[in-house]
Formats: sequence, structure tokens, C-alpha cells
Amino acid sequence: MTPKIRLQNISKRFAVGSNVVPAVENVNLSLNSGDFVTLVGPSGCGKSTLFNILVGLLAPDSGGELHIDGKLVAADHLLGRVAFMPQRDMLMPWRTVLDNAILAAEIDGVPRAAARKRALDSLDRFGLRGFENHHPAQLSGGMRQRVALMRTFMFDRDVMLLDEPFGALDALTRAMMQRWLLEVWEGAKRTVLFITHDIDEAIFLGDRVLVMSARPGHIKMELPVPLPRPRAPDIITSAPFVELKRTLLAAVEDESRKAFAAMNREILPDPADA
Amino acid sequence: MSAPSAPVPAVPGVPGVAGNAAIQLIALVVMLAAWEVAVRALDVSPGKLPPPSAVFATMWSGRVALAGAVGTTLYEALLGLAAGIVFGVLSGISFSRFRLLERMLLPYFVASQAVPIIAFGAIIVMWFGNGVASKAVIATYLSFFPVAVNTLTGIRRVNPEEVGLLRTFGAGTMEILWKLQLPTALPSIFTAVRLAVGLAMVGAIVGEWFGASQGLGVVLLTAMFDNHVEQLWAGILLTGVTGTALFAAVVLLQRKFVWWHADG
Ligand SMILES: Nc1ncnc2c1ncn2[C@@H]1O[C@H](COP(=O)(O)OP(=O)(O)O)[C@@H](O)[C@H]1O
Ligand SMILES: [Mg+2]
Repeated sequence: MTPKIRLQNISKRFAVGSNVVPAVENVNLSLNSGDFVTLVGPSGCGKSTLFNILVGLLAPDSGGELHIDGKLVAADHLLGRVAFMPQRDMLMPWRTVLDNAILAAEIDGVPRAAARKRALDSLDRFGLRGFENHHPAQLSGGMRQRVALMRTFMFDRDVMLLDEPFGALDALTRAMMQRWLLEVWEGAKRTVLFITHDIDEAIFLGDRVLVMSARPGHIKMELPVPLPRPRAPDIITSAPFVELKRTLLAAVEDESRKAFAAMNREILPDPADA
Repeated sequence: MSAPSAPVPAVPGVPGVAGNAAIQLIALVVMLAAWEVAVRALDVSPGKLPPPSAVFATMWSGRVALAGAVGTTLYEALLGLAAGIVFGVLSGISFSRFRLLERMLLPYFVASQAVPIIAFGAIIVMWFGNGVASKAVIATYLSFFPVAVNTLTGIRRVNPEEVGLLRTFGAGTMEILWKLQLPTALPSIFTAVRLAVGLAMVGAIVGEWFGASQGLGVVLLTAMFDNHVEQLWAGILLTGVTGTALFAAVVLLQRKFVWWHADG
């Protein structure tokens, strides 16, 4: 099967003052149609940078290749082709829940009335029934996240990129949202790449877990998750889950340590330099 | 999911405005009463400061002419203000889009504001005639600048990540402007318009001083030459009331259209 999206040797360096900071280096990854792939890695390892490349906002350094459905494409070709949910919800305070949810569809050219009607019909699925005329300032964090997800889902694209969508939620809300996301995803079969720094979340949601290394980030490990779907909440205490978690923890811990050491080096100058 | 029992934020209702208006009205009445009492008690000569009762009597007897003057000046100021807002917003948008344009023109915009309008009011009246146009032009000249600057800074304040998100939805430049940048800049545009209202009034009145047959500026000028102190105060009060009414209208519009933004 031709992968939906394939990245080959993708790198990105940023110029910071007179320094060049490599954010991601030689990333190789493929997403097959219908996959739910999760990506974990220490913070600052380049996950968001990778996403910005995947949505067409950031051009990778030369030498890398982006393929969609087997075709080599330029970076900005991806603009408007991938449904992106950024780390912050970025809801517009002046728009109602309903109008925030249809923003992407509206920009995509769906007439407002038609988009609103479609949105009204899916309010239940996103747990927002009765809140359609509220404004973002009136919503809890979990609800705002659902509006942002609804906006992403309503932007009808085969591929969805979700950047730590539940990162700011408390543990209970987060567990609820994970189960809910799986239900919605199973009903709407999309290809999903999901960033998280929560290993339980990565295993619970994913068909595969990708572990990113400390900066410069590359895919350090790729672990299939052979757990059956639909997944019950208590699957996280099952033996196969725990085994996967052990493997991933070891890999992630290792990278987090490196990231932490690198951070300390930046804060506390090396005495040898003095 | 719980039923819609959400907390209620500041949505259009405009609470407290009526209460504030009442308090402010009381303060006004108290001030006028104090003025009246002070003038009488201290036996101030009416040539220096007439009692408000005399001012109101003058206003009443000249009500038709004064109402016409208010109407004329208000019309000139509104026309100038509207043009100033349009020109200011368009300049702000152009500057935000083209850095080069900003670097070329903004310094001249700033310099233009450093030249007092008095210095070339006469020229503008020569160019645009004795009628409404010259006053509106002066009002525009005074009011566009804060609007241009605040439009620019408002648009600059837009989070680039939000622009990026709209681009991932396939939005073009105009859509980003319309759906994101202008709404984000709206609170700061309104702040500028509040300022511009007063400037437009000044522009209209100063314009009238350089030559006009009607308006509050004419009332003030003739009262000064005729040494008609009650009429002068009538002009001053009416100018204040008109300016305040315009300002209040802007505040109401601001509450209606940018209710999501805290200050206002
Ligand atoms: N526009 C940019 N300019 C300079 N450095 C950047 C830029 N974007 C990201 N970086 C740097 O690249 C690294 C990776 O950032 P990011 O992709 O946001 O990491 P993550 O999402 O994994 O936390 C960080 O060190 C960050 O400071
Ligand atoms: Mg990130």
C-alpha cells in the first residue's frame, strides 16, 4: 500500500542570532491511510516543528522529501490539505461555539448556512449540544478543546494532525476525552498523527507509537501497539499494555535525560568554556 | 455532559450604563448649582462669568439658530470622522502589509501631526471652499492618525500562530485580514476612534474659524467679537455636550461590537 504521507530525511535548522539550531534531523516516517499514530518525545525535541512542516507552514531544509499518495510535493503544497489542530485551541473569542467549529469549513468554501447545519447535526457527537451559542470565554478547558477538535474534524481532510490536544487537561477529563476521541475517530476513519508527552495516552490511542529523540529530533523508535479495538479503559492495566509501556518508558526516559542535560548545559555554562 | 448552565460573561447587555448615567447627571446638576450659587454669592461680574441661568436663557432664546449650529458642526465632524476612520484603517492595513510603505510614509504621517492645524487651515479653506468640505477635510486630517497607528499596532498584535492556523485551512490574505486581523485589531481601533471623536470636533470648529457661515465655531467667534459672554458660554456648553454625545455613541458601539474584549 502506498503510504498516505511519507517523510524522507526531513531536517529543519533554525537560525537563532548567529547560531544555527537544528530542531529536527533526518526524520523518516510514513502514515498509512486510516492509521492512528502517536508521537512522544521530550519537550523541545522538535515535535511542533515537524507538524509545522507537515501542514505546509514551514519549509524543511533542502535534501528532504515529502510524498503524498506516492507523489513528491513541495512544502507549501500541504497548505489546506491537512487538518491541523495546534497545541493552543486558538478559538476566536468573538465567534460562538458553532461559528468557531465551522471556521475551517467556511474558509474551505462551504457556505456558512450549510456548514452551520452540518455543525448543528454533529453537536451531540462532540458533547457540545446546548452550547452552540456560547462563546469560548464561557467554556471549560475540556469543552474548548472539543470545539477545536470539532473545527478540525469539520475540515474534511483525510489526514489529521493533533498537537498535544489534551496536554492542558486534568487527568480525569483527559481520560474521558481519549475514549471519546477514539469513538469519533472510529466513526470517521481518518489518518491521525497525534503528539503527546503522556506514554499511557500514546499507547491507549495509537496503532503505532513513534518515539522522538532529544533535539535534534529524529524518530528513534517505532513500536506497533497490537492491542485490539475498541479499547476498554481498563486496558491500561493489562499485561501487554504494561509491557509496551515498559519499553517506551525506557526509550523516552533516555531521551528526556539527554534533553534535560542539554537544557542544563544551556543554563549553566560549561566551566571548560570560561 | 451537563446541561447548558454555563457561567454568564459580559455579553451585549451593557449593564450598569443606566446607573452610571444617573450618577453622572446628578453630578452635572450639582456642578451647575454650585456655579450658580458661587457666581451670585461672590458677586462675579457677568462679563467675566455669567451664571448658568443666564447662559441657559440665552440658549433658549437662540435655540433655533443654536440647534442649526450644532447640526452643522456635528455633520462636518461626523463626515470628517468617517473619512478619517476609513483612511486611517486603510493606511494601517497597508502599513501592516507593506513594511516598505510603513518605513516610507509613517514618518511623514507623524510629521504631519506635528504641524498645528492652525498653520494651514487657511490653505485648506482656500482649496476646499467655505462650505462643509473644508471642515470635514480638517477633521479627517486630525482624526485619521490615531486610527492609522492603532490599526497598525492592532494587526501587529495578532499571534502569527493564528495566522498560520488559518493558512492551514487554506485562507488567503484577504480572508486572514477579514476573519482574524481586523477583528483582533478592533478593540484598539475603537480606542483610537474614541480619541478621534474629540479631534474631529476640534477640526470642524477650527475649520469654521477660517471661514464659514454656520456652526458652533461661528457662534463662538461672533460671540467673542461681540463680547457676548452668555452666548460664548452657550457655545462652549453646546460644544461639550455635542462632543460628549459623540463619544458616548462610540462607547456604545464599542460595547456592542467588541464586547468580548474586557476594557470598554
Ligand atoms: N521559529 C523558530 N525559530 C527558532 N527556533 C525555533 C523555532 N521554532 C522552534 N524552535 C526551536 O526548535 C526546537 C524544537 O521546538 P518545538 O518543535 O516547538 O519542540 P516541541 O514541540 O517538541 O516541544 C526548540 O529548541 C525551539 O526552541
Ligand atoms: Mg510543541
